[in-house]
Amino acid sequence: MTYQFDWTPIWEARGLIAEGLLVTVAVSAVSLAFSVVIGFIVGGAASAGSRTMRGLALLFTETMRNIPLLIHMYIWYMAFAFLRLPAFSCAVLGLSLYSGAYVAEVVRTGIGAVGRGQIQAALASGLTRLQAMRLIIYPQALRIIAPSLASLFSQLIKDSSLASVIAVAELTYQAGAIDGQTFRTFEVYITISLIYLVLVTAASQLVLLIPGSRSEAAAGRFADA
Amino acid sequence: MPDVILKNLPFLLQGLWLTLTLSVWSIALGTALGLVVGTVRFVRLPVLNAAALVYVEFIRGTPLLVVLFITYFALPALFGYHTTAYRAAVLGFVLFIGAYLAEDFRSGLRAVRPTLIQAGLATGLTRWQVLRFIILPQAIRRVLPSLFNQYVRLIKFTSVASVIGVTELTGAGLLVNAREFQPVTILASIAVVYLVVCMLLSLAGRALYARFAVRT
Repeated sequence: MTYQFDWTPIWEARGLIAEGLLVTVAVSAVSLAFSVVIGFIVGGAASAGSRTMRGLALLFTETMRNIPLLIHMYIWYMAFAFLRLPAFSCAVLGLSLYSGAYVAEVVRTGIGAVGRGQIQAALASGLTRLQAMRLIIYPQALRIIAPSLASLFSQLIKDSSLASVIAVAELTYQAGAIDGQTFRTFEVYITISLIYLVLVTAASQLVLLIPGSRSEAAAGRFADA
Repeated sequence: MPDVILKNLPFLLQGLWLTLTLSVWSIALGTALGLVVGTVRFVRLPVLNAAALVYVEFIRGTPLLVVLFITYFALPALFGYHTTAYRAAVLGFVLFIGAYLAEDFRSGLRAVRPTLIQAGLATGLTRWQVLRFIILPQAIRRVLPSLFNQYVRLIKFTSVASVIGVTELTGAGLLVNAREFQPVTILASIAVVYLVVCMLLSLAGRALYARFAVRT
C-alpha cells in the first residue's frame, strides 16, 4: 500500500461539506414530511372498507415501490422536463412518492395490528369513521410502527444521495466536486460516509422519541420486521 | 411497442441482460457473505464479531451510491489496483446487500428456539453440527421473506450502477435517450421492465415461503 493519506484538503473543504449537508437535510426533511402524508393517506385507504379504495392503494404502492428510485428522479427531471421543475423539487417528488409507498405499507400493517375492538368501540360510542381513525386508530398504530418508520427514514436519508445524479448539490454531489478538485478520493468518501452514518443514527433515534414507541411490544415487532 | 424502443431493442436487451447478471452475481455472493457474517455475529466469535459489527454498521449507515464510489474510485486508489465499472459495481452490491442480509440472518438465527439447540447438543452433536443441521435450516426458512425483500431492493438498486458507467438497463436507456431524445417513452418502458422483474421476484419469494414456511 503506497497510498499517502492527506486529510488537510478535506478540512479545507469543510464549507462545501457543510453546504452539502444542509441540502441533504433539507431534501430528506421535506421528502420525509411528504412521504408521511402520502403514507398515511394511502395506508389508510389500503385498510378502508371500500374495495375500490383498497385496489387503488395497492396499485399505487406496488407501482411506486417496484420502480427504482433513480428512475423516479429521472422521470421528474427528464420526462417531465416541460414542467421546468428545479432539480431540488424533482428529487423531493421522486423520494416522496417512492418512500411514501413504503410508509403506506408500514401504516397498513400498523392499522391492522390495532385490535378490531378498538374501531368498533369507537364507532359505537358515536365517533364518525374519520374521527375514529384520527383519534383512536392512528395514535396507537403510530406507536406500533415507530421502529419500522425509523428504519424507513434512515433509508430515505441514504437514498437522498441519488439526488446528486440530477445535480442537486447535496452531500454526495459535493463529495464528487471535492474529489475532482483535490483527488483525495478515499478521504472524501470515507468522511462523507461517516457523516451519513451519524445523520442516519441521529434520525432513527429521533423517531423513537414518539411516546410509547420504545415499549416491549414495539421492540418485539421491530425484531420481527 | 413504441418505435424508439423497437429500433434500439437489441441494445436495451443487452442492458437488461447486464442488469440480470449483475443482480444474480450480487445476490449469490451477497447471500453467502451475509450468511457468514450473520453466523459470526450469532455465535459471537471473539475478534471477528467486532469486525463484523463495524462492517455491518458502516455499510448500513452509508448510501449505496457512496459505497459504489468507494469500490470504484477509492479502494483502487488506496490499494493501487485496476478495476472495471462492472466489477466495482458487483463488489459494491455484494458488500452492500451482505450487511443487510447479515442482520436478517442473525435475527433468523436468534429466533430458533433454545430448547432445540440444547436437544441437539444433548444427543451428542458437536456445536458445529447443531449449527449446520438444526439452527441454519430453520433460520433460513424463517428469513426467506426478508431475503426476497432485499433481493427486490437490490434489483432496483442495480440501476445506480449506471452512475459509475455500467450500461445496464438504466444506463442503456439513458444512452438511447441521449441519441433519440424521447425521455417519456424510454423511461416509462424501463420502469415497466423493472416493475415486472421485481414483481415476479416477489411472487417467487412468496411462493417459496408458502412452501417452506416454519410452522409454529
